[in-house]
Amino acid sequence: MEGSRERTPHSGGVKRRSKSQSYRRSIRTCFGVASGLSLTPALTARRMNICRKAPKSQNITEKVKPEHLALLVKTEWQLSYVTPLYQFRHTQLKTYARQLSAFIAAEKQQGLAVEVGGLQNTFKVSFSVLQGLAETNDDPETVLIQVVTGLGRGRFSSRFRLHFVILSLFLLKVQSKPMFARQEDPPKTVWSGWLSCINGNPEYLQSLPKDFTCLPLFCSKGAEGLSSLVKSWLQRTFDCCFGPLDINQTTLQWLAALWTNCHMETNIQKLKMIWTLPVVPPLQVTYTVDSDDALELWRSTRESSAEKSRGAEDEVCIDFSEVTRFMQGLMSHFYRHFRVDLSAGELNQVSSALGSAKLNGKIKISSSRYLISIFSLLTECALLKMPI
Amino acid sequence: MDNLAKHLLQRLMRRIPASMLQSTLDKWGRLTAEKRKSLDFTQSKLTITQELVALCEESELTVKHITELEMIYVTENPNQGMWHTFQLLDPEDDAHSVELMQFKEQFKSHLSELKRNVSVKIKKHTDEAVWIRVAWGDGLSRPNHLKATYVVHYLQTPYVFVNALSSKNKPLLLQALTLSTKHQQIKAANLSGQKLTALRDLLMRQYQQVFPTKYPSPLPESDQSISKLRIEKVQAEASANRHRMAGETFGDGMLPALQSAFFQLETKFKDPTNEAMTQRDEPFICSVKFSSSNLLESLRHCASSGIASTPVTPLLSSIPLKGRNYFVITNNVPNA
Repeated sequence: MEGSRERTPHSGGVKRRSKSQSYRRSIRTCFGVASGLSLTPALTARRMNICRKAPKSQNITEKVKPEHLALLVKTEWQLSYVTPLYQFRHTQLKTYARQLSAFIAAEKQQGLAVEVGGLQNTFKVSFSVLQGLAETNDDPETVLIQVVTGLGRGRFSSRFRLHFVILSLFLLKVQSKPMFARQEDPPKTVWSGWLSCINGNPEYLQSLPKDFTCLPLFCSKGAEGLSSLVKSWLQRTFDCCFGPLDINQTTLQWLAALWTNCHMETNIQKLKMIWTLPVVPPLQVTYTVDSDDALELWRSTRESSAEKSRGAEDEVCIDFSEVTRFMQGLMSHFYRHFRVDLSAGELNQVSSALGSAKLNGKIKISSSRYLISIFSLLTECALLKMPI
Repeated sequence: MDNLAKHLLQRLMRRIPASMLQSTLDKWGRLTAEKRKSLDFTQSKLTITQELVALCEESELTVKHITELEMIYVTENPNQGMWHTFQLLDPEDDAHSVELMQFKEQFKSHLSELKRNVSVKIKKHTDEAVWIRVAWGDGLSRPNHLKATYVVHYLQTPYVFVNALSSKNKPLLLQALTLSTKHQQIKAANLSGQKLTALRDLLMRQYQQVFPTKYPSPLPESDQSISKLRIEKVQAEASANRHRMAGETFGDGMLPALQSAFFQLETKFKDPTNEAMTQRDEPFICSVKFSSSNLLESLRHCASSGIASTPVTPLLSSIPLKGRNYFVITNNVPNA
């Protein structure tokens, strides 16, 4: 399911060709997209930001329900990107839940591997909206539908008007209920996933035709078999494509720097980085830096950067060259002691008290305070990685 | 056979992999050949365990016999759990003449003086290693055979390897060891890992050493060929040098399978491109852990491929040279 796999060079931004305008044609040919693209002046060229705002600690418990937040944090999610969904209606969530349950049941009967919990279990799907994670205020027509699952009663608020669906976030939960369970047994969630778009590039989003809903970031947790079933149902129903979202070297370095920056407000305890060196047998290097020292190093790389506006602290922008200098400082300290060049290897994982990110596309956010910032970064990566 | 013995046997059977059951039971020798033949090893482990328990009950075996079986299994498969190394220091005059019987008696008596209700078993393995199994009790309770400590010591060497020792019992064990081997002190040797064989081979240098020579290869003939060949020659020379230095540092052939090394660094940050950090007085605190399925081979490959600059830094070469894998480095002085 992969489009062209791009390696973002360290030196900064990547210019992407803009997307072709006729989506209906290109969705199905997402494999051979590169040849079909052409530069359309009307659409924006999207590129990886080389300049970012420093993430601020946000208390989003006022915007998002605490129980929803609890579902998202302290869990490791596997990331994928997904192309815009065609004719996705926030009004049809119940229908979708029913359809997906039926689909999973049908596939299971055919013997496809859904090994979770044994053959006796029946799966019940619920679609719900996690309101409040929206960031941009272009048009705050937030979805007002609530889908309540569980014992078959759903409330349905029919007021909706969608212009931009940048603002919503969906949670899919697959629950498994053993066939002979007693009434009191609570259903167990065996798989969950959510689709989101946080701080998506407004020009791109506005350029989408009306019928398309852009929720490029797909996070999943649970049995691989169920993940592929859910993905294939979504692909069939909404004519979209999925692909793995690896967190590349650049993004990992961004996270290392951003998390260190967060230490100014929230104690990150330690900055831990894991490299692998390409020797036989492979050598893993776990480099853990005390958070105060990491912050001092980070600050020193920022001070030496000439174009700094001292006045407006709020809008302080972090440039990727500062991130590079920070990483180089860490690697040179390492080299001074071990005379081993870490850049010969690959950065696999970055973690701190605020979360962890792995090269194979697994992310965990431990604190809801920085959820928005991190997922904005990931949304950007997803939008970049999408083939159209 | 009391409940404890049964429980111990069942636990032990879960630990021993199916493939090793038959040979371990044969070595044990507590069941007659007939009884052993009656066991069908093609059955599930659960079934075999049940039959074995029945056989042991018939033969009226006790906890003592089961612990023997455990010891045989652990001795044959020592690369489990976490082994920590200790080094005996300041030997007395007659330390080198301590032989097995004397050591056994002394150790048992010292340990039982220090703590009542300990159960000690000592055995000499074929490779000159003395294996000790200690089950700890205290004044009020019987020895706990489910959490026994294992100790391996090679007489006439200062090294002791210990597995599964609680901090409560540590000083007692160490004192008993020191006294019975006629030394004055014992200290942690900063070498730990899962594979006992790797730790042992590393410390006792049971691998192929490469000694530096002044003229590693026969003197080359002067070669007046074209410049491309000269470039290849220079590269080949550089590569040969790297390989040689890598071998001299880490050894040749198969290396002991050490799996990790840990460095706690508390040194100053020095970088000519970063004035602010270089002028700091406080140390830059960080830690580095190297891990691999065979660390020494990985490091040797780093050196020979150029990922690690040669000559290899003393921090890394200390691992094989000093036989350590835990280091605290302070104040710009390596190997503080």
